[in-house]
Amino acid sequence: MSTQSDIPFVPSKEYLAREKRFYDAVALTKPDRVPVASLAAFFVTRYSGLTNAEAMSDYEKTAKAWLSSTKKLNWDMAPPPFTMFPSPVMEKLGLRTFVWPGKHLSENLPYQFVEKEYMLADEYDELLANPSDFVIRKVLPRMAESLEPLGLLPPLHWLSSGYTIIMFLASMVGVPPVKNMLQKLIEVGDEMNKFNAAQAKLIQELASAGYPLITFAFAQAPFDWISDNLRGMRGSMLDIYRQPDKLLAAIDLFTPFAIQSAIGAAKTSGITRIFIPLHRGAGGFMSNEQFEKFYWPSLRTLILELIKEGLLPMPFFEGDYTSRLPYLAELPRGKVLGHFDVVDLVKAKKMIGDIMCFWGNIPAQMLVTGNPSQIKDYVKHLIDIFGDNGGLILDGSVDGIPPESKPENVEAIMEAAVEYGTYS
Amino acid sequence: MSQELVQAITEMREEDALKITNQMLEAGTDPLEVLEACRNAMEIIGKQFETGDCFIPELILAGEMLKQISEIIKPRLKKEAVQKKFGKVVIGTVEGDIHDIAKNIVAFMLDINGFEVTDLGVDVPPMKFVEATRQTGAKVVALSGFLTLAYDPMKATVEALKAAGLKDVKVMIGGGQIDEQIRQFTGADGWGRDAMAAVKMANQWYR
Repeated sequence: MSTQSDIPFVPSKEYLAREKRFYDAVALTKPDRVPVASLAAFFVTRYSGLTNAEAMSDYEKTAKAWLSSTKKLNWDMAPPPFTMFPSPVMEKLGLRTFVWPGKHLSENLPYQFVEKEYMLADEYDELLANPSDFVIRKVLPRMAESLEPLGLLPPLHWLSSGYTIIMFLASMVGVPPVKNMLQKLIEVGDEMNKFNAAQAKLIQELASAGYPLITFAFAQAPFDWISDNLRGMRGSMLDIYRQPDKLLAAIDLFTPFAIQSAIGAAKTSGITRIFIPLHRGAGGFMSNEQFEKFYWPSLRTLILELIKEGLLPMPFFEGDYTSRLPYLAELPRGKVLGHFDVVDLVKAKKMIGDIMCFWGNIPAQMLVTGNPSQIKDYVKHLIDIFGDNGGLILDGSVDGIPPESKPENVEAIMEAAVEYGTYS
Repeated sequence: MSQELVQAITEMREEDALKITNQMLEAGTDPLEVLEACRNAMEIIGKQFETGDCFIPELILAGEMLKQISEIIKPRLKKEAVQKKFGKVVIGTVEGDIHDIAKNIVAFMLDINGFEVTDLGVDVPPMKFVEATRQTGAKVVALSGFLTLAYDPMKATVEALKAAGLKDVKVMIGGGQIDEQIRQFTGADGWGRDAMAAVKMANQWYR
């Protein structure tokens, strides 16, 4: 998908001012004011009166709501609309890796990932020997009903001759379940084109309205890729003990992919800020020794390679990262934007305050059940701790802004940024 | 040998733990002694988890070792070894939330710490908690939730328990986005950050 159009985009004064404010904070130099930038998802559409089910199924309505909420909230960056995954596409795919509102869940719940062992404990050898073949013929049929016929295909290297293209491939394509699958996939593609077109148009409208898009591309830590998507929490945690070498080999396998896919998405979209949501490396999840062996090296490589490409890695440190701060302190100064959920603020300031801009951390609990004066006090507290070198951007702790947040609490963030966070 | 088994489990030597179990049984050790060693090992692991000396991989692996040892012992037990349970807990992830990793760990730690646990699974409506609490006579209900969407159903479940007249039942809540402010919001009696906090609370409430 491309955000480019025939007419070259000329950024407005407001657009440039917002972008500068954001990058000043990232570089740990004082902007004119503490920026507000959010990874909010369903909050944005709810703020304009849409149900979560509508936000995932009606692309036009969602785009309208996104633009209107962005203008009304007036943050320094527009939140990422691609998080409103298209439920008609998921439906046509028969996707099993998610449950979503309007289908499995009531209309105002968020979609949720269904974690399972989509790859079994004894399948590492197959993955490592032939990753593409394994994913196409074994993993995809487990993840989506529509893709089950892929399991009928012969090993893909059998197709490497003109004879086998006729005898195997052409024959397979004629088999009724494969034929049905291909027909269904055409519908999937048509539907996805509608979604992508609406998104591309929206991104242009956001830019024209003066709001840079916070992110378009995302990458995962290689350990998370395996743990979240393939082996599950239980499976991957057991692999740490039962088959550590194979787990490490799989991490090596997915590291270049994580880097390349993020670079590719940044190039096509022109948006250089890469969101990296982190899951299993939080303090309390694994020991520092395990973090050092299984989690951090490949994540560090990912972050450093993105920096080398001139991109801005934006890891979201979900959970409590206090015990991991010494590792984060290894990263280069002013080149990473760290979004924090829970962390000891004083320790964070001390250990990484001169390394990376601090983003997020306004408690979800407060946004959902608290009141505006609590929020303003909290923002002031953050500014008191992190404001001295300008390295602070405001957002909620998790989900950017939780969908269930009270609007007046969310509006209080920007009010407090202006009131307490005007540097000059 | 008992001590060796405790050590093998706490040091996460899975193969050794199973080997020692088999050796003990072949040497004519009472299966109940093997179970006692497992219990001791889990107590040590629980303490290490509390102090930050072991983490989720260890809890999950210890659970796996325990499961396998129980399978080995089962045919040799004259009758089901009835561990004395000193309290009942009903646990589940609240309505609308399908996350079960943390809930499973809490249920497991409550179980090995002597509680009879009724696990209702995920996406559990308030009335299901009420029914299970009535049926089991549990005095403690544990509500889990990973997402912020869990706040409202937690509150609704606390209210449903009260409305059903189960007023002396205590409710604890836990999950990624839970704190004291959410405890007050939901009307729960307690909240905790991890599995051992749940065990401690349940112990206190049953004392």
